[in-house]
Amino acid sequence: MTLSRDLTPPQVSAAPRALARGWFFRKKVVPWLFILPILLLHFIVVIVPSVQSFYYALTDWSGIGAAEFVGLANFRTLILEDTSYRSALVNNLQWLLFFLTVPFAMALIAAQILAPVKRGAMIFRTVLFIPYVLPSVINANIWKNLLSPRQGIGAQLAEAGVGGLDIAFLGRPDTALLSIAFVDNWHFWGFLMVLFLTAMQSIPKDLYDAAKIDGANRLNEFLHVTIPGILPTLAFMMMLTAIWSFLVFDYVWIMTQGGPANSSEVLGSYLYKQVFNRFEAGYASAIGLTMSLFAGAIIGMFALLRKRGWEI
Amino acid sequence: MRRHLYVTLLLLISILTAACTAPAAPAGDGMGGDEKVTISYWFNPPSGGEGATCYQETVIDVFNAQSETIFVDAVAQPEAWNATRTALAAGEGPDVVRTPGPSFVFELAQAGQLLPLDDYVSSEGWDDLFVDWALSLGEVDGTIYSLADELETLVLYYNKTLFEEKGWSPPSTITELYELAAVIHADDIIPFAHANAEWRPANEWHVGEYLNHVAGPDRVYEALTGQIPWTHPDFVTSIELLNEAQQNGWFGGGLEFYYTSTFDEIRGLLGSGEAAMNIEGTWVAANLDPNYFTAENSSSGEANEWDWVPVPSQTGAAIYSIGMGNTSSINRHSAHPEAVAEFLSYNFSPEVQAQLLRDCGKAPAPVRLTDDAMEGVDPRIAGIFIDLASASDSGGYGYTTWTFWPPKSDVYIYEQIELVWAGEITPEEYLQGLDEVFQEELAAGAIPPIPDRN
Repeated sequence: MTLSRDLTPPQVSAAPRALARGWFFRKKVVPWLFILPILLLHFIVVIVPSVQSFYYALTDWSGIGAAEFVGLANFRTLILEDTSYRSALVNNLQWLLFFLTVPFAMALIAAQILAPVKRGAMIFRTVLFIPYVLPSVINANIWKNLLSPRQGIGAQLAEAGVGGLDIAFLGRPDTALLSIAFVDNWHFWGFLMVLFLTAMQSIPKDLYDAAKIDGANRLNEFLHVTIPGILPTLAFMMMLTAIWSFLVFDYVWIMTQGGPANSSEVLGSYLYKQVFNRFEAGYASAIGLTMSLFAGAIIGMFALLRKRGWEI
Repeated sequence: MRRHLYVTLLLLISILTAACTAPAAPAGDGMGGDEKVTISYWFNPPSGGEGATCYQETVIDVFNAQSETIFVDAVAQPEAWNATRTALAAGEGPDVVRTPGPSFVFELAQAGQLLPLDDYVSSEGWDDLFVDWALSLGEVDGTIYSLADELETLVLYYNKTLFEEKGWSPPSTITELYELAAVIHADDIIPFAHANAEWRPANEWHVGEYLNHVAGPDRVYEALTGQIPWTHPDFVTSIELLNEAQQNGWFGGGLEFYYTSTFDEIRGLLGSGEAAMNIEGTWVAANLDPNYFTAENSSSGEANEWDWVPVPSQTGAAIYSIGMGNTSSINRHSAHPEAVAEFLSYNFSPEVQAQLLRDCGKAPAPVRLTDDAMEGVDPRIAGIFIDLASASDSGGYGYTTWTFWPPKSDVYIYEQIELVWAGEITPEEYLQGLDEVFQEELAAGAIPPIPDRN
């Protein structure tokens, strides 16, 4: 028994081992090697700055030179003293409310109308989607000119005898934020519509037929077939939109820089000013962390709903 | 199969190597030739591509052609300052460090990223080159770290053709200014061609001018040096008067227009005579004739004329607020500081500064210009700089906010003034807030050097 085992040719048992090694290498090592570059990149440009940001949030740092550790002082100032931060946060919440309602309503209605359209469907979709692919700096500047009270649409209409629209929408504290949201929505809602349209097309036609047999009208179909059918897409986009609402910066910065009288200041523009205008990089890191916290809370809320059985 | 694996692995390794390795420097000095030392220089184009090209052709190309030992690798890029500070924080950056003003130099010097210039001041003769107060602007804790560039001031430009038509005289006191503004407004003409849609910090031009010309530069000096608070009644009067002008709709045709008009729009109105006056910096003077006071922009078919007077003051005395557009320093990590110093001496020479003014419309640095420096310059523009130079010698100067106020106070000045205009806070509350921010920065030693009153 011992002899026979000793006489077993080594190559007989080595071949399966080599095969096993090859399998392990191909299945377990090679995939990691493929994603290693992007992991390294992610580590360098995301993980390291994130950890650094967390550290700098606990410091008094100008963005140049050494940082002085101050513990939670930045957060204490943010929460207890900084009224500008609070008003920027309120503006972000208004932005959130706007973007969770207006573009979703517009996109759902447009998608519902366009879904049955066969002839020229691609033209409609393309036309409505085009603003989304234009860079924000182009969109914002076009609309800044269009909304100009001296040279914009309102002024031209007023010259033609149609008054009432030659208003400085971006120059009034009560309309500035809403006007920027309108412009951002102009570029955004077409994207939502295309997503909803695609999701609607995956709903089995049988369900609509069954609903019709049950006497459902178009509204009933929309509420009881379409909405449940696209709920995962709807919920996912709501989550993303909510997160994006806390990160908004470009349109606000290009159109008003947070003015007039800070009426359109949002957390993103406020953070930028802290770093680049006031040399308060440590404080800005604390603001950035709170923005991440809000985004994390939104993700957590959706994760909780999913855990409770919501189809999202 | 195994061969494929090896190929894949090799590919991955090469990708990783490429990703982790910095791009190799080109052999030699490139354009500079093998014997020349290369120094890097990043600059903000004064007004888009044209200004950048002009600077490159007027200064950099000429220097590179005549220097046998130095090649300046100049890169004109918008946001040069933000790029510079990021690079400096990483221990890199250009050899010549440009900042937007003395208060920014303070931060860099404190962080040990700039080379002290005291030795070069004597070896390069900068103490003779610059006017008396200018070198002190570059001091941090008694050591010189920067050289001031682009001497700026604000004046009252006005549409001379319109004034002559209407029989108006340029004002010299605040009282005259306000009486005239009321008359102009009643005539359905915009008194002041002011706007901030493109540059929100334009607010600080007005706050600074009111502080210097209503309260006066002596008061401002006392406050900047911590002798009196910003809540002093004279400053309250200044902000009240500024607010009155805004509430009267004198700036740009009303607050809403002020916030939404571009500089092109509003300066166009000045050129056409739909607006009468504009308190703005020297940076705009060279653009007035070619862009705004044109025949196309005039209802008569003939270009209107512009002229200027000092910004009216409470006493009627001419006061020119001093401002710096930029500063230049030497990077602490520069391998060739002597070469940088030599280039800076060339850049700040009176001949080059005069040529930049003539050819590029760039305001000169506060250097001692020669008598013929203004030859070929529009006499109105030359007049501003000649008067500014004599005012700086005689003490008739004030202080611009972006040059002499520390960063947090400066941001407060131009952002929170909009709350006063919106009626959300009073001038007293605004100044109380400014004083709190300023005192913090004063205690931290962040105030740039303030030239003494003569």
